[in-house]
Amino acid sequence: MMTYLEAKDVSLIYRVAVPRFYVGLRDGQRARNERMRSGGVEALHNVSFRLEAGDRLGLVGHNGAGKTTLLKVLYGIYEPTGGEVVRNGRVDALFNINLGFRRNATGRRNIVLRGLINGWSPARIEARIDEIIAFSELGDFIDMPFGTYSQGMAARLAFSVATTLDPEILLMDEWIGAGDASFQKKASARIENLTKTAGIVVLASHNEKLIRRVCNKVLILSHGEVADYLPIAEWRPDDQPATGVGGRSAAG
Amino acid sequence: MPISSPNFADWFRAGLNEVRAGLSCRDVWIALANEDIGDQHRKSILGPLWLLLNYLAFAGAFVLIFHRNSGVDNFGAYVAVGLFVWQNLSDVVTRSVRLFVGEQSFIKGTTLPLSVYAFRLTMQTLIRASYSGLGCIGLLLFLGVSPNPGWLLACLGLLIIVLTIPAVAIVLATMGAFLPDVEFIVSNLMRLGIFVTPIFWYPAGNDSVRALLYHYNPFTYFLEIVRIPILGSGPVIHAFTITTTIMVLAWILAIFMIGRFRRAIVFVV
Repeated sequence: MMTYLEAKDVSLIYRVAVPRFYVGLRDGQRARNERMRSGGVEALHNVSFRLEAGDRLGLVGHNGAGKTTLLKVLYGIYEPTGGEVVRNGRVDALFNINLGFRRNATGRRNIVLRGLINGWSPARIEARIDEIIAFSELGDFIDMPFGTYSQGMAARLAFSVATTLDPEILLMDEWIGAGDASFQKKASARIENLTKTAGIVVLASHNEKLIRRVCNKVLILSHGEVADYLPIAEWRPDDQPATGVGGRSAAG
Repeated sequence: MPISSPNFADWFRAGLNEVRAGLSCRDVWIALANEDIGDQHRKSILGPLWLLLNYLAFAGAFVLIFHRNSGVDNFGAYVAVGLFVWQNLSDVVTRSVRLFVGEQSFIKGTTLPLSVYAFRLTMQTLIRASYSGLGCIGLLLFLGVSPNPGWLLACLGLLIIVLTIPAVAIVLATMGAFLPDVEFIVSNLMRLGIFVTPIFWYPAGNDSVRALLYHYNPFTYFLEIVRIPILGSGPVIHAFTITTTIMVLAWILAIFMIGRFRRAIVFVV
């Protein structure tokens, strides 16, 4: 079956979901009335696109435009309050790569735990672990507690675990910086390679060069809406609507 | 499932899927629970044996202080079993309320089903209980209660408790996520609970305050499905009926709640 990722009119309204009677009791009647009037904050509004195998989508937009929120909706951490996301293919995400690492466990044990959290089977972890250790360049430190690692070592391990996947759909938030200059180079090469082998990539970034190098499509988000959705060749970053004004200009 | 048309059948189905998905991630919650227990006792000499010592100290103190006028045959064994069950149950209840709030970085960063956290808590409890359980068995043998067929029935009682824990955890964790005050209500109630639950006392007559507390406290029956079979102190069908009913109701409620609120929880924790 073909890999694809489709967003159909995806909307997400952040609503403070605490019951009204509770807000009334806690913050007073006025707060309760305000709550009832405001419908919540709409973080995404009718976002639609369809990506087929081979597509690399760059998500751009100002801070707060909804890039990270959209990635989290695509991954499934947030369920949209309107519309739907259809994922056909295994989705892996590279954001918050430090999640779940335990100070007291060894590097090796942390690889296993992180793999399980990612949904890998023990057999798959076993098959990958040597490669992960080798890439992290931790050597004998791999059997020391994670808490004894320097920041750079910890970042290298996190990066190695997070990027040892063969995703069909890969979601990334910004470029991940890990370790010293030489490791950075190795890391960039690996990410580039990942974006080549994955069926579909969605990359949220402020880095224009990076987007141009990796992506073939660009989706410009502005105030949670699709301001433009176009092939990379037609993208002129200067056309992006400025913060706060003219938010809903060119609808894609 | 549009949010505008709340539908009980949909919630129930979504909740069931959530629970089923959590069960299939058992590698995750078993591994995490083991790490949790290890972390709590790392660097101490006795490690998790502290759980055993803590239990023995409590049980010993209760027996020494309250054994007179207790009106119970083999009061030591009565306390040993009751305290073992109570310590673990109260632990589950107090931890459950903060469960989702405490796991917020996971909830906001992974797509693991929410029930995973309830199963992880259950697993932690099982590991902890195995240490205090050793103390309990040791104490029983020391007090002259020898293993008998009733212990098998007690195992059935323990099984009902274990099966009830994830449901209770889901219900309390969901409430705690939306209503932060519940945490304080519950922790206060549980502190009182050790006195109003028949752990080191027994209702003498039928019309005393103790009798009321005994009969209307649901914890009583969870204690009794383990305690009565071990002590051979009477009929236990009644307690089994009540606890099984609570278990079923708790699961129905848990499945509804997780199905109804699962996608809102990520926004409130």
